[in-house]
Amino acid sequence: MANLQQRIAAKGLKDIEVKSYMCFGACQEGPNVVIYPEKNWYARVKTEDLDDIVAHLAGGPHVQRLDTIDSSLKELIYQLLDTGIF
Amino acid sequence: MQGILFPSAVPEGREGLKEYRARGGYQALAQASKGPAEAIVKIVTDAGLRGRGGAGFPTGKKWQFTREAPEEPRYLVMNGGEDEPGSKKDRVLLENLPHLVVEGAILSAYAIGASKAYLYINARYDVAIKSITDALDEAKSAGFWGENILGGDFDLDFEIVAAPHNYVAGEDTAVLEVIEGRKPLPRQKPPFPVTFGLFGKPTSVNNVETLANVAPILLKGAEWYRKFGTAESTGTMIFSLGDSVNRPGVYELPFGTPLRYLIEECGGGLKSGKKIKAIMPAAPSSAFLPPDKIDTPLDHNSMRDAGSALGCGVIKLISEGTCIVEEVLRIADFFTAESCGQCPACRMETNMLSMMMKKVQAGQGGQPMLEQFNKILAFNKGKGFCNLIAMPGPPIESALKLFPADFEAHLTTGKCAAN
Repeated sequence: MANLQQRIAAKGLKDIEVKSYMCFGACQEGPNVVIYPEKNWYARVKTEDLDDIVAHLAGGPHVQRLDTIDSSLKELIYQLLDTGIF
Repeated sequence: MQGILFPSAVPEGREGLKEYRARGGYQALAQASKGPAEAIVKIVTDAGLRGRGGAGFPTGKKWQFTREAPEEPRYLVMNGGEDEPGSKKDRVLLENLPHLVVEGAILSAYAIGASKAYLYINARYDVAIKSITDALDEAKSAGFWGENILGGDFDLDFEIVAAPHNYVAGEDTAVLEVIEGRKPLPRQKPPFPVTFGLFGKPTSVNNVETLANVAPILLKGAEWYRKFGTAESTGTMIFSLGDSVNRPGVYELPFGTPLRYLIEECGGGLKSGKKIKAIMPAAPSSAFLPPDKIDTPLDHNSMRDAGSALGCGVIKLISEGTCIVEEVLRIADFFTAESCGQCPACRMETNMLSMMMKKVQAGQGGQPMLEQFNKILAFNKGKGFCNLIAMPGPPIESALKLFPADFEAHLTTGKCAAN
């Protein structure tokens, strides 16, 4: 998480906050990075994937290879996030 | 009312071997041990005995599955973990009627062909563990267990195992894990314990109260037993009433007795003198019933038809003036704390439900938040290694349906409607 924060800061992305959340029900496919409110979910993230994720946050392409979470779980969690649960 | 387990009223002191034998104790063993084990299974099946641990599974069927499993040795495990909040029945049986339990365990072990029985007892039950330990000593001296029981070729050994006092430690496969020396984490099923249980061998895990019914059934017969209760729920059950009533305690009643009788005649009604707002027939995991269901018969089918469940008979009464949101939040937090955490779906569900209920309590989230409860529960249905994942559902779903005004009050004012 600290690694991701450092890379975001190095890229000069000031309106992005990195924080840990409770279990979203996909820990067996973790580490997970959920980007909200944009609604993107990257699973089984490794250190070598972080540059691609930060590039996406900076306006780059979606990292398709990490988008492996079941769509029904994603939908459920996004709806919960929309209610302002956090 | 005459019971099957409690000879007259709830026993106040410990019944020793001499007293137990004076009322026919160990006669069932003396008779049954002369015959084939299959006969025991048949009588218990014919009697319609169902497990008293909560699920109500037919005991004869469970024994048959265990007997028919090809592997050997087989094991009997008595589940006396009793960590259901408010349940006192197993403790009373273990402390006061230890020989009724021990004779039931010996008969059950004979029925399934087990040569070793583990008695798994809540570690906090010091008196119960002492009572059972003494009963085992007395029974062994009298030749009721050990080698060549009553001169026959049946050998049986006992071992007492102290059960950790957390909720999942009472789940059948978590019990097996503890006996094998590991943490109380439920196993994925199938395979079920009847084919792959303790040390990978066929195992019947039976609740204390279930085992206590076995000797009376064998002594007096299936037909006698079926005179108690209903066609689908035969015999009696021990119900636990908490401190909210005038006469808290345990009450043995025939299945089918109206809930009102237990609450009013046995318990003496609410101590506060207030009206009942809701009833949980199997706290904390059953659906709430409204007060107009107070005449529902206390049996598995009637409770299911009324929209709830009987569980292991812990009846909780909610009085007028109690906020259901606060009540459900306590339940959600209980299951969050008691989830063992090994299944991601259970971890997510229980934590989400607690967090969402706290938001509702604080008046945040509005109607969209309320709509998420059923979605979370539906999404996780059938997931997880054990049934804990299904337990927060009935109380939450029924609370939302029966008491919308309590939720509305919190969402609009952040306070209880009751206050």
